[in-house]
Amino acid sequence: MGTPNPLEPELTNHASRPEKKSPGIRRRLARQGWAFALPALTIIAAITIFPILYSIIVSLNHITFTSQGYHFHWVGLHNYSVIFSNPLYRYSLFFTVIYTVVTVFIELVAGLLIALVLDKLIAGRGLMLAVLLLPWSLITVISAEMWNYIYNGVYGVLNALLIGIGILHTPVVWLGRPLIAIVSMMFADIWKTTPFVAIILLAGLQMIPHELYEAAEIDGANGSARFWRITFPLLRPTIALSVLFRVLQAFGIFDLPFVLTQGGPGHATESLALLGWQVMFQDLNMGRGAAIAASTTLIVLFASLLVLRAFRAQVGEEDLG
Amino acid sequence: MNVRRRTQRVQMMATLWSIVIALFMLAPLYWLIATSLKSPAAIGAFPPQAVPNPVSLHNYARAFAYYHFQIYMRNSVIVSVGATILVLAFGSMAGYSLGRLPVRGKHGIMVALLMISVFPEIAVISPLFMLMRTLGWLNSYQALIIPYTAFNLPFAIWILRNYFLVIPREMEEVARIDGASALRTLVQIILPQATPGLFTAGVFTFTAAWTEFLMALTFNSSPAFRTIPVGIALFGAQFVVPYGTIFAASTVAVVPIAILVLVFRRSVVSGLTQGAVKG
Repeated sequence: MGTPNPLEPELTNHASRPEKKSPGIRRRLARQGWAFALPALTIIAAITIFPILYSIIVSLNHITFTSQGYHFHWVGLHNYSVIFSNPLYRYSLFFTVIYTVVTVFIELVAGLLIALVLDKLIAGRGLMLAVLLLPWSLITVISAEMWNYIYNGVYGVLNALLIGIGILHTPVVWLGRPLIAIVSMMFADIWKTTPFVAIILLAGLQMIPHELYEAAEIDGANGSARFWRITFPLLRPTIALSVLFRVLQAFGIFDLPFVLTQGGPGHATESLALLGWQVMFQDLNMGRGAAIAASTTLIVLFASLLVLRAFRAQVGEEDLG
Repeated sequence: MNVRRRTQRVQMMATLWSIVIALFMLAPLYWLIATSLKSPAAIGAFPPQAVPNPVSLHNYARAFAYYHFQIYMRNSVIVSVGATILVLAFGSMAGYSLGRLPVRGKHGIMVALLMISVFPEIAVISPLFMLMRTLGWLNSYQALIIPYTAFNLPFAIWILRNYFLVIPREMEEVARIDGASALRTLVQIILPQATPGLFTAGVFTFTAAWTEFLMALTFNSSPAFRTIPVGIALFGAQFVVPYGTIFAASTVAVVPIAILVLVFRRSVVSGLTQGAVKG
């Protein structure tokens, strides 16, 4: 924000001075304000709020499609009772929850370790940030194809490496059996998203005043005491928000299983979003798919509340500045 | 002296670990690019060649001449640039309004914007698909430009509003006394002061649109309107995965966005950390 003010340089520090305006001007400005906000708010309402509400109606109907368009047949909660008693949906819910908890936990620990290393680093920190941004900006579909090739059971480089250093004797089909496929998919996800967590936590670390560490050192606190008494408590709001972002993303995961495993082997890596999409667009059952999507959304909302409560982060009022 | 030696040791350990981290992050990407430069025979070889030998551009030629990857690139550019322009235009107007003008209920609007970004894409995909189909918009550019605009606006409004808030009021008042319209004030006085915010919002929107898969797959599946992620995911036939072609196309798709992100590194990092870190 260091741009000098070309008109009145001497007034630049008075940003917060309250305005005194006549009621007429105020009314005119309020009208202009609504006119300015209207295009953005209209698009957001039409493409996000309206569909979220509409999808609830869709989930309470059986939808058929003819040349005249869509026809709704009210079925009440039938779609929900069908999915909740369906073994595949239950497995998919179980898988998505486990997947989210495990990947987000590992990303948090690994991201925190990376952030602690970069916080100590003096020369080359900019370069490291650039390296971390590369996986973050990679198209997930490309990342999935890349790991698919690395994991290949016939000519994959992972097998070549592990056989080369003597850990393996015969090639492993990494995506061929349920448990190994799940772990392999988690690893691909952790590779791509840990940098995001690390960058956010690094910014949080750099906000912690140095004097606190100096004072602790004088008091004779060792490294782990300094971490648990100073770093971790002060980093908690940052951790909460990075965990929140990641939980939201991990729970809606679609691109990675779609390309890497197609939900397989069997249905081992079938995430809720993938299942919902397949029910909507392959089984062409919009109502039931919408029920799966709506249940996913509800669980995500519940999980975000849980994360915020667990870390007791203060978001809301004060973030609004 | 003891302290100095300790700082030196900490630096050395930090550097060593940084190298390990960098290798871990870069190795898969190296493999992607190296594979794209291998001849078809070398791609299926086991053990694989560590360095492509001979270096072959066969995969690149095939991606463009046979798989028409340039169509997907064109579609991705149109959709991403279109969404970025709309987000910056509407986002700065809304950010200005919610940050600077006496609009009633703006606090509630800002909170609502925050909450919208919590919803997963899968939650809106079925109604949006039905809407697009009814409008006859499936397989069109607007089928992606408008949703991408909508999904990226909340973040852009937040970022831009934060930048607008700290611009001195006096400048606007001078412009107002001079009889400038609100739109002219925004374009000539406010926006030039908020260029870092515009870069952040722009880079995030562009990256999000460039990488988005679920809606692109669902709304624009016909070959003429596929974007890069959809094109790459649907490359090849049922039983053969043309890895060479996929990675050649991927390299071409990755390079522009990598350059964009590296050039605007500061904007990206500040965008990632805004909201996560206060102050």
